[in-house]
Amino acid sequence: MSNGKKILVVDDEPDVCTYLSRLLEDHGYAVRCAADGEQALRAVEQDKPDLISLDLSMPHTSGVRFYREIKARPEFSSIPVIFVTGVTGPTGSPADTERFYASRRQIPPPDAFLAKPIDPEEMLGLVRRLLAQGGSQ
Amino acid sequence: MSENALVSAAKLRAVEQACGRLFDEVPCYISIQDRELRILTANRKTLEDFGDCLGEFCYRVYKGREAPCPECPVARTFADGREHSSQEKIFDRRGLPRDVLVNTRPLCDPSGQVLAAMELFTDVTVQKELEHRLHDSLTRFQNLFDLAPCFISVQDREFRVIEANRRLMEHFSWRLGGRCYQIYKGRSEPCPQCLVAQTFQDGRPRCGEDVLLDRSGRPVHVVVHTAAIRDPGGEISAVMELCDDVSEIRALEDRLASLGRLVGGIAHSVKNVLEGLRGGLYIGNLGFRDNKPEDIRAGWEMVERNVARLSRLIMDMLYCAREASPRRLPVSPAALVQEVFALYAQRARQAGIALEAEADGELTLLAEPRDIHSLLSNLVGNAIDACCSEESEGKSYRVRVRVARQDEQAVIQVEDNGAGMDEETRSKLFTKFFSTKGPFGTGLGLLVAQKVVTEHGGTISARSSPGQGSIFTVLLPLRSPVPGNAPTVSRGTTP
Repeated sequence: MSNGKKILVVDDEPDVCTYLSRLLEDHGYAVRCAADGEQALRAVEQDKPDLISLDLSMPHTSGVRFYREIKARPEFSSIPVIFVTGVTGPTGSPADTERFYASRRQIPPPDAFLAKPIDPEEMLGLVRRLLAQGGSQ
Repeated sequence: MSENALVSAAKLRAVEQACGRLFDEVPCYISIQDRELRILTANRKTLEDFGDCLGEFCYRVYKGREAPCPECPVARTFADGREHSSQEKIFDRRGLPRDVLVNTRPLCDPSGQVLAAMELFTDVTVQKELEHRLHDSLTRFQNLFDLAPCFISVQDREFRVIEANRRLMEHFSWRLGGRCYQIYKGRSEPCPQCLVAQTFQDGRPRCGEDVLLDRSGRPVHVVVHTAAIRDPGGEISAVMELCDDVSEIRALEDRLASLGRLVGGIAHSVKNVLEGLRGGLYIGNLGFRDNKPEDIRAGWEMVERNVARLSRLIMDMLYCAREASPRRLPVSPAALVQEVFALYAQRARQAGIALEAEADGELTLLAEPRDIHSLLSNLVGNAIDACCSEESEGKSYRVRVRVARQDEQAVIQVEDNGAGMDEETRSKLFTKFFSTKGPFGTGLGLLVAQKVVTEHGGTISARSSPGQGSIFTVLLPLRSPVPGNAPTVSRGTTP
């Protein structure tokens, strides 16, 4: 059943963590959860994942800090990251969110965006595509 | 007659003829009157426009009067032998009015006796009309200037206000020649990046935003426009500055922005709840598929939790949107503190948090009991959450509520020694739809608390530092400035 790929889900909402873990586990991934940026960094250091799903709208602003930190470290910078967020622009479309984050120049652009509420098929498709790219590098 | 005399006589005739022609052709009205004001002679233009008037009284001819005009310049010339002038309105043979400048001069015999008076009218009807129009447009301009719904000043190079419209004079401590920066801002020197100075420099109009202080010291948000005023030689002699009061628009924008943040925050919360519901359904469905009762139970619990969260969110939202003013009933904060403690007793016991109250049992407020209950339960709930969110070994956590009277105010303090907040979090407390508590918070609790306090004429503030805990202080007036609508107001004033 397991395909051996490890995914780290970072979200301060325990229910969202549970949901995403079960969704991904059910499709053969090994999932670990972190509730904030500090936990996430420890998890990455302990057991380097193949992909990270990161909720950016967490309080304590640690999501962005965590993202900056791993992108600055060569051993982790190539891990694909999906930004998951409930914060969307005026029209509520993910395109606005992309523009929002892309306009913050101090942050390198992430590999993908996913707006809440998460569409399971979209999530799984993204994960497959990013992991396939990672494998070919 | 000698040949010379003949030549002289011929010359004299020629001159006389030329004078007669001139008299006739000159483009104004000339007449000569005797002492009785009868017209002895008049030039052709006069005869043309006023008819055959020889022998008539001038006042009848020129004005259709039956008696001499008061202040008649001809009569004055006869009286003193001098020249006189005046402005008159005369009417030609068709009754058309003409504005004229009148000049009279005496015609004397060699002894100096005034024999007749010459009266000369210069038609200034067109000039008069222009003068009227000029006056009208000046008045119109002045009205526009004064009534324009903005502050307009004209300034010289030293920023002296040399003209100001009425609105400016009414709203600011204005005096002629005062400096713009004194009048508008109470400053003692020019503002940096002054738009008027820039326009003086290159003559180009400028536009910007600024905040002025009116005569009562209230800030006035304005959009500023400047324009150069040039003298006939093209030199910039002054700059006009126009300030449009946009304070209300700014306030509206602020309200819209916070409404936008509120809606955004609600949408965010709802999305997370929705995510939880989906997750619950997904896990429940996995349980059915794989026949795993524990998954079904876990999924079902997730659904329950998120439905509860949604109803909490909606209750808070409804509370925030409620328009009605609160009732004024006698309320004992001390009793409410005990009720709220009872609500949280189990949770506090499980988490090892002590709940302590120091409440003046005699103190009575006139307030909406449900509101004060929800204020207290929000603050106490927050305090417990703050203790739970910190995991410090060996630290004994407590939440303490104090209720005391201070002059005409009730002071309610809710203090915890939990996680505390950094300045960033503290500054967002009451201003934004904001939660640090993920699934446990609706982000509306403190908005509800603030609404309660404001509706009761009080204030709420917070002090906190990370790792030390927080103190929320609520001040509520014992006598509300808002007239109560409850029938029980009179028996509420317990000392």
